Amino acid sequence: MQSVLKLAARPQGWSRRYPLALLAMLLLALWHSQIGNPLPAATQWALLTRAPADFAELQWWHASLPRLAMALLVGAALGFSGSLLQQLTQNRLVSPMTLGASAGAWLGLVCASIWLPALAAEHSEWPALAGAMLAVLLALAIAGVRGIGGLPLVLGGMALNLLLGALASAIVMLHDQYSRNLFLWGAGDLTQNDWHWVLWLLPRLAPMLLLLWLAPRPLTLLRLGASGAQGRGLRLWPSMLLLLLAALWLSSVAIAAVGLIGFIGLLTPNFARLLGARGARDELAFSALLGALLLLATDALAVLASSYSVELVPSGAAAALIGAPALLWFTRRQSAGSGQQNLSLAPAARPLSRRGWGLLLAGLLALVLVSLTLAPGTHGWQLAWPDALIWSFRWPRTLAAVAGGAALALAGVILQRLLRNPLASPDILGLSAGATLALLAATLWLGRPLQQGGAPLAFGGSMLVLGLLLWLGRRQQYAPGMMALVGISLAALLEAVLQFALARGTADSFAILGWLAGSTYRVSGQQALLLAGGALLLAVPVLCGQRALTLLAIGDGVAQGRGLHLARNRLAWLTLVALLTALVTSVLGPVGFLGLLAPHIAAMLGARRVLPQLLLAALLGSVLLLVADWLGRVLIFPLQVPVGILASVLCGGYFILLLLAQRVRRGRA
Amino acid sequence: MARTIWVMLAAVLLLCSGMAAAVTVRDSDGVHHFARPPQRVVALSWESAEQLLELGITPLAVADADDYRQWVVRPTLPPATLPAGGRLEPNLELLASLKPDLIIISPSLLDMRPQLARIAPVLYFDAYRHDHDNAQVARDIYLQLAGLFGRRALAERRLAALEQGFAKLRGRLQQHFGAQLPRVDVVRFASPAVVYLYGSNSMPLHALQRLGIAGTPQPAASIWGVTQQKVVQLGSLRHSVVLYQQPFEQAGKLFATPLWQAMPFVAQQRFAAVRSTWSYGGIFSLYYLAEAMTDALLTLDRQSIVSGTR
Repeated sequence: MQSVLKLAARPQGWSRRYPLALLAMLLLALWHSQIGNPLPAATQWALLTRAPADFAELQWWHASLPRLAMALLVGAALGFSGSLLQQLTQNRLVSPMTLGASAGAWLGLVCASIWLPALAAEHSEWPALAGAMLAVLLALAIAGVRGIGGLPLVLGGMALNLLLGALASAIVMLHDQYSRNLFLWGAGDLTQNDWHWVLWLLPRLAPMLLLLWLAPRPLTLLRLGASGAQGRGLRLWPSMLLLLLAALWLSSVAIAAVGLIGFIGLLTPNFARLLGARGARDELAFSALLGALLLLATDALAVLASSYSVELVPSGAAAALIGAPALLWFTRRQSAGSGQQNLSLAPAARPLSRRGWGLLLAGLLALVLVSLTLAPGTHGWQLAWPDALIWSFRWPRTLAAVAGGAALALAGVILQRLLRNPLASPDILGLSAGATLALLAATLWLGRPLQQGGAPLAFGGSMLVLGLLLWLGRRQQYAPGMMALVGISLAALLEAVLQFALARGTADSFAILGWLAGSTYRVSGQQALLLAGGALLLAVPVLCGQRALTLLAIGDGVAQGRGLHLARNRLAWLTLVALLTALVTSVLGPVGFLGLLAPHIAAMLGARRVLPQLLLAALLGSVLLLVADWLGRVLIFPLQVPVGILASVLCGGYFILLLLAQRVRRGRA
Repeated sequence: MARTIWVMLAAVLLLCSGMAAAVTVRDSDGVHHFARPPQRVVALSWESAEQLLELGITPLAVADADDYRQWVVRPTLPPATLPAGGRLEPNLELLASLKPDLIIISPSLLDMRPQLARIAPVLYFDAYRHDHDNAQVARDIYLQLAGLFGRRALAERRLAALEQGFAKLRGRLQQHFGAQLPRVDVVRFASPAVVYLYGSNSMPLHALQRLGIAGTPQPAASIWGVTQQKVVQLGSLRHSVVLYQQPFEQAGKLFATPLWQAMPFVAQQRFAAVRSTWSYGGIFSLYYLAEAMTDALLTLDRQSIVSGTR
């Protein structure tokens, strides 16, 4: 407590820090304004006082300068908002991106532009704010009061991020032609054609000044802890809520003005502290300054890249390409948030009976039968055993769904047990993103056909991520916080590459989006057999080694005491997970949330020990993916909803509901 | 002598009638034989649906049929034509239940060809490439399909009428602008910041060429013949008329800005909107494009064009 107070009281080296940052900003701004600029310096100087005459002058005045101003404003707003959120929650991993607020704002805008186009055109900040608030409230509700300062909040936010992103993609895909423009908007670009958006944003960022004056007192008191703050006469909840709202407002108007730009809000407050910013006001101000600086730098690179190549590089993509490695570097330097607050769903009181198993198996069989026989046709629903032709279309899909679901569920159980983390899953740790990224990159830059199986590539991608996790994690004993950060970084990197691909705006965009949705449509019989065979093959070592997994799940001490080689065992299990993930991703594309949800439902049904949980989760994973696939086929017949999106939305939504219900029950108890 | 000619003619006729029993058609893969012209045709790409309709053949089903009716519009798709699922993921089971005798696909479904071939014979037309003349290929595909359906004569007649249509439009333009028609560039907006410039191998530019109008000389690298550009880069189009394709919802936002007003073609009133027309279609889409662009060009003032583009 003493040290906190001391640090809060005296900012370190501010007399050098601020002038240096300002100088760097000035130099960067000068550079930014000169990229691809044909005007001589004297003309530019003169233009500050006289009206522009020819087109080049107009371009400088109405495109280059507003873009510069926009980079500064948006960067400052994001940095400030991130710092405010981090100080509010006392959590260094929090930012609009990691809380799910960005994805929420994006979803709000997508919904508004489709169902309330008039509102979206004139007042896009309101749907964005509503979406962001909804997401953050959900994240807070999931984490609970005690989880706010730690990992639960970030993991909850990350889950929301994935869920809301999947929802937005689903909506865009179902309304494809209407929201074409959204892609470019979603790419987060700072291109300006006049001063309109700068002048729009400027007054909306005014609360920053007010906050700089008013916020430090409650924020400083918050550092004393909730009780200490209340003891000093701070009415805690109203001021926290107000500050939270202010932070969300700032990031929402920034998103409404330029689209999604990640990382700035997460990185800058951490850099600010690294450079010596202490004290609430110092952190806020210096984060805003650094945010402006960082976005200016990344945008300059985006402009530079766009002027030297035919491709247009969106600023948001550039920010993520730089931000993701920066975040990883930062993770390596400092141990990321640790703490193992409980965030698990209560397992059932009784283990699953033999009858329960029988019922579940019968249920799976019945579902397989339904998915094979019941389908809509041109003359309404038909229940019939498929003929040879229809059979040849249906069995690969069914088999792929069953095998893929089981494989993902197995991967989920292993990860959750191994990392002793209830929110670990292949998608949250970025293993799926790694596989997807490898396939997407090969398509974009090597011209590999998107729809052809690329199992080696996908495996390479997820092994790379795994290697990264292991390399980063060794020092920190595989702390869950670090693992989650890698996942966040990779998910954002994937997003950046995707934005870049979509910004090309060719007809391939929809093919890419369709493939990223995860689909069983293109699975051939051979691929389905490969997937099923691979899953079975991998299940053997998983089931044989379940005893070791049990020991590892109890604790390192116990495992070592029983003679297990910790590092070697961990490596073996993580390799199995990477193999399972790569196998599924290369055949089906990314399928989210299944690996997260199936182990939890298994636990809730009464599978407490590792072996029953593995078996039950695999069974449930099969059922879930099978149902998702069948629903995807019949919901909007003759069109189809990709199974990955449907699974993400269904499983993700159900998972969030479970967490919330748990919170409510615990709150009452 | 005369007798020999008659005998030879008869032999040729006999040969022809023998061949007519088995029709051949050349798609992008090679020659395929059909015992008789197909009756139940499914088109899984919009450009092939267009080509069929222009031959007077109503497809049994078309992929994304409802979107076709909204975006392609011309030629009209009869209400009886069923939707066949998405263009990227057509519904295989639905197709199987329709029992077609021909399925026409584009490259986006090439990897599904083995599955589709189990339902019916598949023809594969790679209509859009950056390394061939898209208009010429559209014409070839039209004639190949005409041969398959035994409508060669109709096709020739319609193609001749197409040329006359172009000549008529050119006449109207020359009446307005004089013998020397202005240079034209065609764009489509993606957002107020990003624009697609149609390259020389795109359908709008092929349509302009039929009208005797010079346009963007460079081909685009993408298969659809468009190059992505920043809107400010349009400032370099100093001597041409610029047409933009509707719809562009944010037109009001962009067109009011001083930067846009300063674009040479805007300041000198050489800028016009073309009503929404599908620009990735078959050979007859050239005419719909030409017609829409002619109407747009005729809204421009002759004097400002003649002085500005010379």
